[in-house]
Amino acid sequence: MSATLLVSGLVAVLAGGGAALLGRGAGRASSAAFAVLAGAGCALIAGSALPVLAGGAAWEWRLAAVVPGGAWVFGMDALSAFFLLAVALVGGAAALYGVGYMARERPRAAALAHAGVALLIVALALVVTARAVVPFLIAWEVMAVAGFLLVMFDHEQPDTRRAGLVYLVATHTATLALIALFASWAAGTNDLTFASLRAVAARPSFRSGLVLVLALLGFGLKAGVVPLHFWLPGAHAAAPSHVSALMSGLVIKMGIYGLLRVAALLGGLPEWFGWTLLALGIGSGVLGVLWALAQHDLKRLLAYHSVENIGIILIGMGTGALGAAHGVPAVAVLGYGGAILHVLNHSIFKGLLFLGAGAVVHAAGTRRIDALGGLARAMPTTAATFLIGSAAIVGLPPLNGFVSEWTIVVALLGAGSAAVPGAGALRIAVFAVAALGLIGGLALACFAKVNGVVFLGRPRSAAAAAAREPGPAMRAPLAALAAACLAIGLTPWLVVPPALASAGVITGAAAVQAAGVDHALAGVSLFAAVLAGVLLAAWFARGWLMRHRFRLTAQTWGCAYPRPTARMQYTAASFAAPVLEPFGWLAGLETERSEGAFATHPSDPAQHRLLAPAWRRMQALGDALRSYQTGRLHINLLYVFATVIVLLGYLAFRRSP
Amino acid sequence: MSPSGIVALGAVLALAPALPGVATRTRSLLTGRRGPPVLQLYFELAKLLRKRAVVSEATGAVFRAAPVVGLVGLVIAAGLLPLDGRTAIGGFAGDFLLFAGLLAVGRFAVMLAAFDTGSSFEGMGASREAMVGAFVEGALLLVFAALALATGGASLQTMLGPPLAGAWRAQWPALTMLGLAVFVLLLAEAARVPVDDPATHLELTMIHEVTILDHSGPDLALLLYGASLKFALLAALVAGVTVPLVPRSSALALLALLGQLVLVAVAVGGVEAAMARLRLTRIPQLLLAVTALVTFATILLLRRA
Repeated sequence: MSATLLVSGLVAVLAGGGAALLGRGAGRASSAAFAVLAGAGCALIAGSALPVLAGGAAWEWRLAAVVPGGAWVFGMDALSAFFLLAVALVGGAAALYGVGYMARERPRAAALAHAGVALLIVALALVVTARAVVPFLIAWEVMAVAGFLLVMFDHEQPDTRRAGLVYLVATHTATLALIALFASWAAGTNDLTFASLRAVAARPSFRSGLVLVLALLGFGLKAGVVPLHFWLPGAHAAAPSHVSALMSGLVIKMGIYGLLRVAALLGGLPEWFGWTLLALGIGSGVLGVLWALAQHDLKRLLAYHSVENIGIILIGMGTGALGAAHGVPAVAVLGYGGAILHVLNHSIFKGLLFLGAGAVVHAAGTRRIDALGGLARAMPTTAATFLIGSAAIVGLPPLNGFVSEWTIVVALLGAGSAAVPGAGALRIAVFAVAALGLIGGLALACFAKVNGVVFLGRPRSAAAAAAREPGPAMRAPLAALAAACLAIGLTPWLVVPPALASAGVITGAAAVQAAGVDHALAGVSLFAAVLAGVLLAAWFARGWLMRHRFRLTAQTWGCAYPRPTARMQYTAASFAAPVLEPFGWLAGLETERSEGAFATHPSDPAQHRLLAPAWRRMQALGDALRSYQTGRLHINLLYVFATVIVLLGYLAFRRSP
Repeated sequence: MSPSGIVALGAVLALAPALPGVATRTRSLLTGRRGPPVLQLYFELAKLLRKRAVVSEATGAVFRAAPVVGLVGLVIAAGLLPLDGRTAIGGFAGDFLLFAGLLAVGRFAVMLAAFDTGSSFEGMGASREAMVGAFVEGALLLVFAALALATGGASLQTMLGPPLAGAWRAQWPALTMLGLAVFVLLLAEAARVPVDDPATHLELTMIHEVTILDHSGPDLALLLYGASLKFALLAALVAGVTVPLVPRSSALALLALLGQLVLVAVAVGGVEAAMARLRLTRIPQLLLAVTALVTFATILLLRRA
């Protein structure tokens, strides 16, 4: 049943893409067909994920035909289902939004973009359901290439071409690492299914070190872990906004899915890897939010927040891995479960924020934050939903971001007070709580800046003053995703247990019982409901109490300056500078002083201080090696001859196995 | 939820506006002046509630909602603290994150209201609030985690009060450090010297006052009352960490709580009399020092527990 739903959903989405392509001259009709088919397909995909999340049995399905690369197996367990739910929800919302967003473009280009979106959604669904190496890698590549084509939508812009190229190089480096990962793991098996990989990992002679390092490289590049995030801000900012929502909301999460799947197949992660994840998580979280705060470009800012949230997810995963390694099941389940829940939550609110940013870019024609202002007046739905998404990403109650951060904090607290023998090292993990607090505080500053400068106050440019609300096709997905943020915040008891069950795929189902958070979840839910209810009641009470008071309006008080203009408003750059100043060069803010002018420019210290010097070093090494490559035939023959001698010597003198 | 808890919550809600008055009176007396009456804030609130509001034409719903949102968050946060020494109005494992989140909701609302006016002064104030808030939040969460380690409790009502009193005997050095740290966090969050100066009259040097520059009438009354309530909640936290109550009867517990709050306010006034406001660039250093202090305390607790 579940499998039938999944297949019919995928077929429907693909058919939607096909309809868009076939009717590419027709414009509206083919777009409508795409919207209906993609929406229905995503609903079917979500329907296929729900039975397993509700406690149904996991299933596997093997392709009956003989195919290259061993057996092709697909399957669904709680982990796949949870990711599939995010794919269906955000994929559907972005596809519908895209129909409105692309209405202004040339019909042929829009049709290609719709088909690309359909292909990307199908590839994402196959990545999380593949149970063998070859279909996994094929789906992974289709996802990467569809993503590349979509990022290159505005290929007339040189910035876009550059961002697309960097993305392509990064994603193929990741794929290479994954091929090496599976090749080193699957040596000695003949069917390349995940079940065989699990059997290999269970052998006593198996060493997981190389596999884990390659997984961290390949999946970490995709997820955008600092310092492997270099491709992410450019690509996510250059893509059309609904594609940015898909990339930031879903595609980078496939890196997280890959790490979790590897952990499940290995039957747990070693302790050193848990510490590595925790450290990378803290680094990505703090640095991601600092660099976000420094940005002047709305979409680059949101992209850096994805780096930050990947950090929060890794903090959860690291805590889970450490808990499992030390034999504390509650910490393991809550850590992994919090991370998995944050994947869903982040895909919802980051999708919402990118779609909202798209509405702003659509209306005002610029991504520069300091050229906007006062948009809430003309775009009330966009402003309100963007505000909800912002409060959710910051982790404020009563929204969904709070629920996943709460889960991770409870896991860290459990790690800190763990009483098992030898838990001394595990307990140090509790300090990650401070990092989460700092990340939350800085994210709060950043989203106060974005909402304040973009939507509040007065328009800072003529384009911002002329902005208008987008049509219903773009507003409906915004409202749906904002409602999802609120729904998860109010009813955490509906989503946390399935997330913990997904964590059970890694930790073993028995551990899930140890979490014991049902009672606390009721408390979270109760307080969220009370907060939401009292806020509404107080807002209406205020209106009622003030109804008879005549209100005076005046200009904003400018400390006795009589003629304020919109240009005198505080800018995003000046808001962020004092917050970033204490962090010094880590914050990556370059200031430029000249006579009568002062400007700040964001830069990425990881790129300028780490990656670029490393790249130059590699180039220098290559140049040095070039002198050995003369191009003369007899020298080359000499090299071949020497290599053969060395290999023969190796074969002759190696110890027989 | 117990009757004494509700009475204690009511008392804190009613008496919160007296605390800034106590602090200011202490500061005035120590610096050789008389200062305004202790109940000055009540008079101001009464006057503001009767007045009309002047609202900037640049503003919208966010500006009007901010005072309400901030106050609602603080009142609910008050329900999480075990003010009578035993139980809170409600709580759950990890509810300290909600406490910090509710404070953050108020900060977010006020910062957005500042942007809504389009005033450069208020934007400046919001920026400073953001800087202080970011550093406070990390330290505050670590304080709560440390309290959880000290008592084995996971919610505010099981990590303050009698369990903490039991922990004091064995772990007094770490808990002293935590108490000191929470006191400095109170100074930062409640906008007191050395982080902010409530008595200053120059907008360029303010943090909290300049952020709410455009609010007037009942809106301003809600903001001022909210600020005093935040003071009271953090003072109750300071008192709860440094001198945890083990109440014999609920009447005694209530009296002891009020006495503690007044003592904390007197201490705040003493600090204000003794030192000047720090330069803005020094504030992160102060708060990082506090974080380091909490880190030491946490290490001590990790070793002992």
